[in-house]
Amino acid sequence: MQVRRLFGATGPHRRLGNMTYMNQKTLASIETRIPPTRRALAKQQTRQKILAAARELFTQRGYEGATIRDIARAAGMSTGAVFASFADKAELFDEIVAADYQALEADMAEAVQGAANVEEALLGLFGAAYRSHVHQLPMVCAAMSVGWTRDPKSAGRSREALRPIVDLIRAALQDGVERGELASHTDVRLLRGIVWEVYLSGYRAAVYEGWTADDMIARLAEQLKIILAGVRA
Amino acid sequence: MGVREQQKQATRAKVIDAARDLFDSEGYEETTIRAIAEKAGVSVGSVFTTFASKAEILGQIMAERVAALAAELERVVPHLRGSVVDRLSALLAIHYDFQMRRPKLFLAYIATSFSARHESGFTPVGSNPALRAPVRDILNDAVERGEIVANTDVELAMDTVIALHTFNYLQVAGGATASDLTQRMDRELKQFCDGLSPR
Repeated sequence: MQVRRLFGATGPHRRLGNMTYMNQKTLASIETRIPPTRRALAKQQTRQKILAAARELFTQRGYEGATIRDIARAAGMSTGAVFASFADKAELFDEIVAADYQALEADMAEAVQGAANVEEALLGLFGAAYRSHVHQLPMVCAAMSVGWTRDPKSAGRSREALRPIVDLIRAALQDGVERGELASHTDVRLLRGIVWEVYLSGYRAAVYEGWTADDMIARLAEQLKIILAGVRA
Repeated sequence: MGVREQQKQATRAKVIDAARDLFDSEGYEETTIRAIAEKAGVSVGSVFTTFASKAEILGQIMAERVAALAAELERVVPHLRGSVVDRLSALLAIHYDFQMRRPKLFLAYIATSFSARHESGFTPVGSNPALRAPVRDILNDAVERGEIVANTDVELAMDTVIALHTFNYLQVAGGATASDLTQRMDRELKQFCDGLSPR
């Protein structure tokens, strides 16, 4: 895992593009056995430099406010060098967000451990997300703002990156059904959509009203109480 | 109204018309102030003496559209019948039909609402009192009729309904139409209101 983090999405990942999550994991384990060449390392360093500069600028200026030209300048290289590593700004942005999701998934998976019921599980999962995101609201805003107008390619990447997190939510609800907390005829897909949308809307209050993670969690708890009351077994 | 004030109003109207068309056809981010000025037949400088930013122009366009939508709602809402789900569903369907006439414009508006830049003259999506009030009225009415539990936190329920309604627009990038949005919202509303019904 550590090695995959370090080497992010180098050569083979990029070229194979639209692989499933499982395949990327398999590939990562192969990658750990093949030492990277010097050239691949240099390329990787360039990518990391660009990603760090881009993250900084997206945080400061939002997605639209940061141009490839600005990012290149901040990373100390030409725009050509940036385009040699990333097809466009959307790809660069999506990779930063995907790295965040990966770290978040680990936090969320840990937070859900030992939850006594479906309510605790969901609050654990979303609470972990709120706690981690509240410290990087400008980046959250940039991602939320981009989400409405993504092109199909970027939308596909985003869906893929989010899948493990969405799976955690689905599993929490499914467990609730299997434990007999939620009615057996519960439409888990519909319910997942609802809790996800309600969770996302919490960021709005954080941005506009300066809410803390605890405020967001308390509100989500009230909303979940209503939503789950309708599907209790 | 003085000649100067009349000229200013005329410029304002021309800029708004031009920007509305460009935002909807070319996209909000793709449209520059220069392009708006050109299409409106005014100078770039006079755009900036009328509006502080592109977001303010967008805010103004949306405010005018909200006024038109609110007028439509005012006509229809008193005649809504049926369960709380039916009423909310009919109300929100009017929103979807209206905004999906210019989907690109509305998505740009939502995106700008979430980009955290506070601009004067920009009301973020979901916070316009004229659009929130009918949702609140329907929920209050449902409490009075005993259709939903008496201790319902109406403000929270209203915010949640509006959040579900707004986030459904995420489906538009994947090709959803106004009627797809309404169908999805109906299922969500039914599910949500089940949780509020007395048992």
